[in-house]
Order: sequence, then C-alpha cells, then structure tokens
Amino acid sequence: MKAWLKFSPRIVNKHVISDLIKTYDVTFNILRADITPKGGKMLIEISGSEAEEGIKYMEKEGIQLNPIKKVVKKDEDKCVDCGECVSLCPVEAIKIDENWTVLLDDQKCIGCGFCTSSCPTKAIKIAY
Amino acid sequence: MLCHSHDNTFINYTKAPVVKKVKTIEEINQKIKDGDAVVITAGEMTRIVQENGAGKAAKEVDVVTTGTFGAMCSSGAFFNFGHSDPPIKMSRTYLNGVEAYSGVAAVDAYIGAAQPHHNPDIGFDYGGAHVLEDLVRGNEVELVAEAFGTDCYPRTEVNTFISLENLNQAVMVNPRNCYQNYAVATNSTEETLYTYMGTLLPQMGNVSYSSAGELSPLLNDPYFQTIGVGTQIFLCGGRGYIMGQGTQHATDGERKNGVPTESAGTLMLQGDLKKMDSNYLRGATMPKYGPTLYVGAGIPIPILNEEIAQRTGISDHEISCKIYDYGVPRRDRPIIQETNYHELKTGKITIDGNEVQTSPLSSFKKALEIAEELKTWIEKGEFLLTNPVKSIPNKGCTVNPLEIRRPSIMVKDIKIKPVITVKAEEAISGVARKMVDNNINHLPVVDHPGRLMGIVTSWDIAHAVAKGSKKLTEVMTKKVIVAMEDDPVEVIARRIDKHEISGMPIVDRENLVKGMITAEDISRLMCSQNNKEGDSQ
Ligand code: SF4
Ligand code: SF4
Repeated sequence: MKAWLKFSPRIVNKHVISDLIKTYDVTFNILRADITPKGGKMLIEISGSEAEEGIKYMEKEGIQLNPIKKVVKKDEDKCVDCGECVSLCPVEAIKIDENWTVLLDDQKCIGCGFCTSSCPTKAIKIAY
Repeated sequence: MLCHSHDNTFINYTKAPVVKKVKTIEEINQKIKDGDAVVITAGEMTRIVQENGAGKAAKEVDVVTTGTFGAMCSSGAFFNFGHSDPPIKMSRTYLNGVEAYSGVAAVDAYIGAAQPHHNPDIGFDYGGAHVLEDLVRGNEVELVAEAFGTDCYPRTEVNTFISLENLNQAVMVNPRNCYQNYAVATNSTEETLYTYMGTLLPQMGNVSYSSAGELSPLLNDPYFQTIGVGTQIFLCGGRGYIMGQGTQHATDGERKNGVPTESAGTLMLQGDLKKMDSNYLRGATMPKYGPTLYVGAGIPIPILNEEIAQRTGISDHEISCKIYDYGVPRRDRPIIQETNYHELKTGKITIDGNEVQTSPLSSFKKALEIAEELKTWIEKGEFLLTNPVKSIPNKGCTVNPLEIRRPSIMVKDIKIKPVITVKAEEAISGVARKMVDNNINHLPVVDHPGRLMGIVTSWDIAHAVAKGSKKLTEVMTKKVIVAMEDDPVEVIARRIDKHEISGMPIVDRENLVKGMITAEDISRLMCSQNNKEGDSQ
C-alpha cells in the first residue's frame, strides 16, 4: 500500500519508523520525503504480513496516514503519445507498449512530478 | 541557404542511377481509380523488401505511405478576417492574446505557432499553436486589432470573436516541416536543461530524439526522386501540398545507406486549416522553451522502379543519427556518439557504460495512424498521386551560419580585477576580515595550486560563527557555478540570470581560478559596447 505520512514536529525526532521495522514484519520503502524541523510528509510504500498492525502502530504514535489510490492521472484525450515523459521517470513507471501507446503505471509512480511539469500537452496531473 | 542548382528538374533525374521505369504515376492512378492499387505503409515496405527483395517489391507494390507527428515550431497560418464597417487596416493583431503578424494587407494576418501569449504571466502556456488548435476544434477565438486609421480605413480598433467557419481563408503555411533526420539530445552538465528537445536531465540522465525513423517521409525518398513541388500530401487530417524546399534545406551533409545522418532536407507545406482535424494537430508547450505545434504529415511515395522500392525499404537499423551534448549552448555542439533509430526505439541506450532511457518526442503511434489513414484514402480511390511540378534540389544546398558582425566577447576578453581567494585551511575570522577589507561578499575557496574547491559568502561566515564551525570546508558551497575562460559573455549573462546569482568564479581547463565575473562587469561591458555603436552611427 502507498500512503502519505504526516508528521508533527514532535515526531520528527522519535524513532517511530525504525521501531516499526524492528517490531513488525513489514517492508517499508520511502518513496519521497519532505521533512523540516516543523514536521513533514513522506510518501511510503508498506507491505508484509504485519502491515496492518504496523499502520495501527504508526497511527498510535501520532503519525497521520493517508492512503493513496492514484498518484498521477494521464488525460488520454490530451496525451499525444509523444513519449517525452518516458525517459524522465525515475522509477520507470512510464512505458511505451508495442503499439507505441504511452502507458503510465500508477502503482509504480512515486509522484515526483517530473512528467507533469515536462509534458508538452499538460496531459498528466498529480492527484493526491 | 544557398542552392546552386536552382533549375535542376532535369539534372536530378539524369544524375540518379538509370533504372528502368516499372510504372508511371498515371498508371498507378488508373489502378487507384480501379480499386486495384497495392498500397502499404513504410513500415510494411521495410519487411517486404527485406523478405522479397526490391525488384519483386517494385513490381508488386504501387504506393508506400509515410507519416510523422512531431513538434514543428516552424508552422503557422494565414487568415483573412473580412472587412468591418467602417473598415480597418490592422497594424497590430491579437488572437486570444497571441500576436499575429499583420504587415500583410489590411485584414490579413499570419500567426506563428511558436509565438507566446502577449501577457507574460501566460507566456509559453498558450501560444500561436494553441490558437490554431482552438480554431480547428471549432472554438471561438477573440480577435483584437489596432490601427493607425487612414482616409480609406478610418477604424482604429476591433474587438470581436471569430471562428474558423466564418474566416474567409485560413491557410496553414509551414516554412519548415518534416526534417529529413535530426540531432539526438543529451546533457552532460550538472543541471536540468529545458530545450526544444524537451527536458534534459543532468549528467546525461536521458536522451531525446525526434525523427520517426523508417516511417518518416523524407527518409523514404532521400534524393527527392518522387517528392517535389506540388506533391499532394496528408496534412493534419486534411489535404496539403508541398510548396517547395523548406527553410534550412540542406543536401550535402554526410549520408549512410543513402540517408543523411543529421538534419538535412526540409519541406515547406501548405493546407486548408478548415479541413483539418485536431487529432492530427495539437498545440503544445516545451517547458521553459515555448509553444510549438504538433503537426501530422504523411506523404505517399509512388513505387516507380526498383531503386525507389529499395529506398522505401530502409529500416530503423540503417538510419544513423548523432547524439549531441545540448549542455554546450553553442552553434556547434559536441557529438557524444552515433546511434540509430532501432537502438533509440528500444527505449534504452548505453552511453559511457551507463544505461540511459530515451524519449521519442514525436509520436510513432500517430505517425503510424497517419500512414494508415493515407493508405485508406488511396485504397478507397479518394486520393490520387501527383507528378511534381518541379523537383526539390537534392544537392548543392548548404545552410550558412549567421555571422554576427560584432563577434561574441569571451570571458577571457573582459578586463577583470585581480581575484581574491582564500585557502581551504584559513581561519573563519581571517576570511571574515578579507571580506570586510575588500568590501566583497563572496570568495572562492582554493587548494594550494589554486584550484577551485568551493565558494563562501558572508552569509556562510555569519552562519559558521553562529554555529561555532571552525572549518571553512564545512560552511562553503561545494557545487559552484563557474564561467570558463572561453565562454561567450551572453552565455554567462544567461547563467547569472537563471541561477539568480550576482557573479561567479572564472576557471581554466585545469580548474584554476582566474578571476571573478559579476553581473556588474557584464552590464558595464554592454554599456560601453552600446556607446561605441552610438559613436559610429
Ligand atoms: S509527455 Fe504528455 S503527451 Fe507525451 S506521452 Fe507523456 S503524457 Fe502523453
Ligand atoms: S510523477 Fe514521477 S514517478 Fe510518477 S510517473 Fe511521473 S515521473 Fe514517474
């Protein structure tokens, strides 16, 4: 599951994430992080047999968790399949299929925004 | 551009290898009318020639259709708005806020695809290309015009709405489309670049290319043996015509397998905007570069003989192109390596041992759709082939550079004050004193031989004092924007502007600090230049 975690400043200095990984059987991947002394947010992917428990633990520790379904959305009418976005994606979430259609895998996407700012037809929007 | 062989209709055909004509255009047209013509796309032709050979293909195939759908800045359209009452002679004209050139007759104007919006806040986001798309989609467009007013045209302003339907004429005229081949772009610098080749990531993080390869019209007829002035084509969903060679048409560059390995031939196209389809014409914006128009063009190639069949059989493997470093903003960019369209289309390419992702920029999906659509038109007998009125030169054309009478001034030509530097091991307090004594707020940090290690500002020093840092290397900025001695001053001015800095150290090839160049030095230079010019006039 992918989710945005929101921290308050109080939590930035606590070891919630390392404790989470130590205590529960979870795989935890940080896809994006914007952390400042005033708190911050982080885009994470969490999986494993105890992911549910892990999420409960984070919530108990005061981390707000907002699951996301789609990180980016491509408007198929606007997209001209030019492929400009393909080489910009750091996680190879955008591919060209055998019919030269440009496909965006929102499961892989980490919401970095490179493709959205570079698309010549402004066909991709970040959707939180 | 220079073309030495203007009237070479004759020369072209005599110079091309003498191959017996298998068919004529008239014979092919008869077959089209009878519904018997064999029409295939350029992609299909490549396979057929590979499997059966060009001789057999020439006998079996009548027409090969090509296609391309790419960003072509050199596009636009002429309009005639009709006369108002009382009439106006427009001198400044805006369509949805984008300026069109109206120095042509009273109510005619030409809008260029690459023209940005006149409001800088909108700027690149909506330009001439977007106006064209809006019109083709049937949307109303605001027309604002100003005039001086004359005895015969007394009105001085117009503010109304137009649509494609009620324009007298709307003719797309594109001075340069369908590049025969094109440069492939990458970027070796440390910063992301925004170019007409799209976004280029730092440290050669990606590669972008724009030709449709084996589907591309002019790569299938590399010597202009069938494509000529007056050839009827598919243009943005309607019919268009080739007006002649495009601007920057070049013929004498390097060729491999008969096709140019870099940008070469171009076409000037025209077509009726009223018949076009937004599916094949799109307004777009290259980020931080500007508006551009995606133009869909398809050209039919009559297979008159074996040689033409052979040439339309070209495959992506056989079309070479060169990767250039767009990190060097000069006319002659360094070549990184050579590649071909087969390799580029796999989506990955290896540069210096690293795998790099590639982006096409032009849509092969649409290019194929165009080739297929044109094929359908011909099969249905709706589209006939044309004999060129005149051929397009296939030799003797070179593109001359623009020589600026006042050549660029290089960084090394500017008189620069002797540079003050600090050594990495100097104490913070000493550095602070140097700044105060010399009344400067940034100092390059160097090692013993004088090579640049970083830069330190008065802010860094204040920060170091507040935090109790002792070491200069801890507080200095290590990633320094520098000027090379042989950079033109214009390039430095752009760099200063882009990074919002006041100046930068000048280094030589060994990274030895040679001086500092500041925004002030540059403005002083510009002033003295302008004064000099004023004197001589
Ligand atoms: S850059 Fe935009 S138009 Fe081009 S393929 Fe990607 S989403 Fe589509
Ligand atoms: S937002 Fe970033 S990660 Fe997501 S598809 Fe675009 S480039 Fe890839």
